[in-house]
Amino acid sequence: MKIEIQLTHLPIVAGLAAALNGGQGAVVEFSGMVRGEEQGKVISALEYEAYPEMAEYQIRRLLEALASRHGCLAARVVHRLGIVPVGQLAIYLGVAARHRAEGIAFLAEFMDRLKQDVPIWKRRALAIPPPLPQQDWALKILAIVPRKALSLDAAMSEIQSHTAPLPGVRRPLADCVGHILREDVIATGDWPAFDCSTRDGYAVRVDDPGPEYQVVDTIHAAGWKPRQLQLGEAVRVATGAAMPCRGLRVVMQEQVERRGDRVHCVTMEEARNIRLQGEETKAGETLLAPGNRLHAGALALLATAGCARPLVSPRLRVAHFTIGDELVAPDQTPGPGQIRDSNSMLVRGLLQGFPHELEQARLPEDLPAAGIALASSQVGSADVILISGGASVGDKDFTRELLERLGFEIRFAQVNVRPGKPLIFGVQGARAAFGLPGNPLAHWVCFHFAVATVLARLTGASGPRFWPGRMAVRLEDEPVPRETLWPARLEISDGAWLIRPLPWASSGDVTCLAEADVLLRKPANTGTLEAGLAVEFLPADARLARLFK
Amino acid sequence: MLVRFFAHLKDVTGCDAAEISVAMPVDVDALWELLVRQHPALAGHRATARVARNWEYADTSTRFAEGDEVALIPPVSGG
Repeated sequence: MKIEIQLTHLPIVAGLAAALNGGQGAVVEFSGMVRGEEQGKVISALEYEAYPEMAEYQIRRLLEALASRHGCLAARVVHRLGIVPVGQLAIYLGVAARHRAEGIAFLAEFMDRLKQDVPIWKRRALAIPPPLPQQDWALKILAIVPRKALSLDAAMSEIQSHTAPLPGVRRPLADCVGHILREDVIATGDWPAFDCSTRDGYAVRVDDPGPEYQVVDTIHAAGWKPRQLQLGEAVRVATGAAMPCRGLRVVMQEQVERRGDRVHCVTMEEARNIRLQGEETKAGETLLAPGNRLHAGALALLATAGCARPLVSPRLRVAHFTIGDELVAPDQTPGPGQIRDSNSMLVRGLLQGFPHELEQARLPEDLPAAGIALASSQVGSADVILISGGASVGDKDFTRELLERLGFEIRFAQVNVRPGKPLIFGVQGARAAFGLPGNPLAHWVCFHFAVATVLARLTGASGPRFWPGRMAVRLEDEPVPRETLWPARLEISDGAWLIRPLPWASSGDVTCLAEADVLLRKPANTGTLEAGLAVEFLPADARLARLFK
Repeated sequence: MLVRFFAHLKDVTGCDAAEISVAMPVDVDALWELLVRQHPALAGHRATARVARNWEYADTSTRFAEGDEVALIPPVSGG
């Protein structure tokens, strides 16, 4: 029997077509829906929880056991988890059988057993929250939100001026990769801490002309044998060994002849072959300043300096909600009018440049009350809240209402940029929130100029900024009254950064994103950009941005 | 051995798992005693919650040892 089992946080796409092979004489389906009432109370949604590994295992076993008795050909079970709004499917079961009696018996018995043995629970029912005081609400928006769209620069500086670095935390050095340093790291001692040899050879006084020496001691790499050398004396030293005193040099072993405890220097070189104490850094010097990202080399430096628990930016807590009932999970086949959710993956990937903890959830669009209840319960202690709107009409108002309900003050709701104009930014104390337009390209653009600005600001790093480059090729385009942030590739030629724009037609495009690594800034009201023209670009990768510091 | 809690048992214990050490394999009664010692509030749920070991419901012959994936399964309510 062909079996398909899904436990999903996204709306269920009913249907069994993919599993059918032509042998069936009956297809029996059951769709279990969330009712608007639970234990006598009116509700807006139910929240389901599962022990997913065991639930899937138990469902599979159950299907196999039933198949051996009822002789069915294919079965598909989808159970929704998380918040399921009233009217949406909580479970779908489709069975293909040779005859209807087998299919019906299979289905009935499966549902009975599921309700006994499969570890899935209705966790809680969400009540319908009271409506907003409408008048108050309208006044608030008029008072705060600029009625005109902000320019790109104005939006970026608005974000900067309404956010501030979060307090630093001390973390074990091993857990600091990618964090932003928030204190000066000061050298507590000289480095090297003592004069040491860079060669295997013989340490002698710099004022000793030689060429004959008496070997009075041997010092290995980890040895520590201080002594004052006299003229005519030499100490056998290994590479890295601490010199017995200051004022010495090392004659390489290849340049001497040794007989017993005496050495004769064949050729005298100028080189001292010594790393001097404090040559690299002196005690009290600043090794690394705040604002630096702790990559591999910086971590090695801090380890050397004994800075085992540096003060660094905290991990950012990010809550990401997607809205849009047209979205289905990547492993599902979209029905008519549906698309796969790419933004959840896009956001996950974009955040990789910033140490963070991410919670992702889906909000039901058709039931704002349930969405607000869910968001309030999940937003928790998030530093940054991202809401990806669906492409459908009205999501923007929903996002704005949601942010207001969560206590955010909306600072702007439109930016004069293409794509990505309907971008909402709000703040609440030290927290920031964005309502991102749902189309993937717009999403990507808004992330880089707006969300990345907040993330950098909260961590204490320098924010994204534009860099000069030149057009690699001619870009034909109509003049538009908004600035455009155009997905492009960065190339280097004869020492100059060249920008090669990628083709895109709509803010829904996603193909160009796989290749893009910068955003070309095309000024408002300019048409075609000629090859070689000086332009500005924004790096689309936190690591790439380092190149331009 | 990690014992996972689900649904309202998370509220009862205030956590989603408990670490139990057993020197040798124990049966379901002994496991409950160890759990109730750590989370006395679980005592009231012993009559209704089932125990699962490696995704299978346990019975009186089941033995639980280090390395097993154990979970308390309160009455289910899916569908």
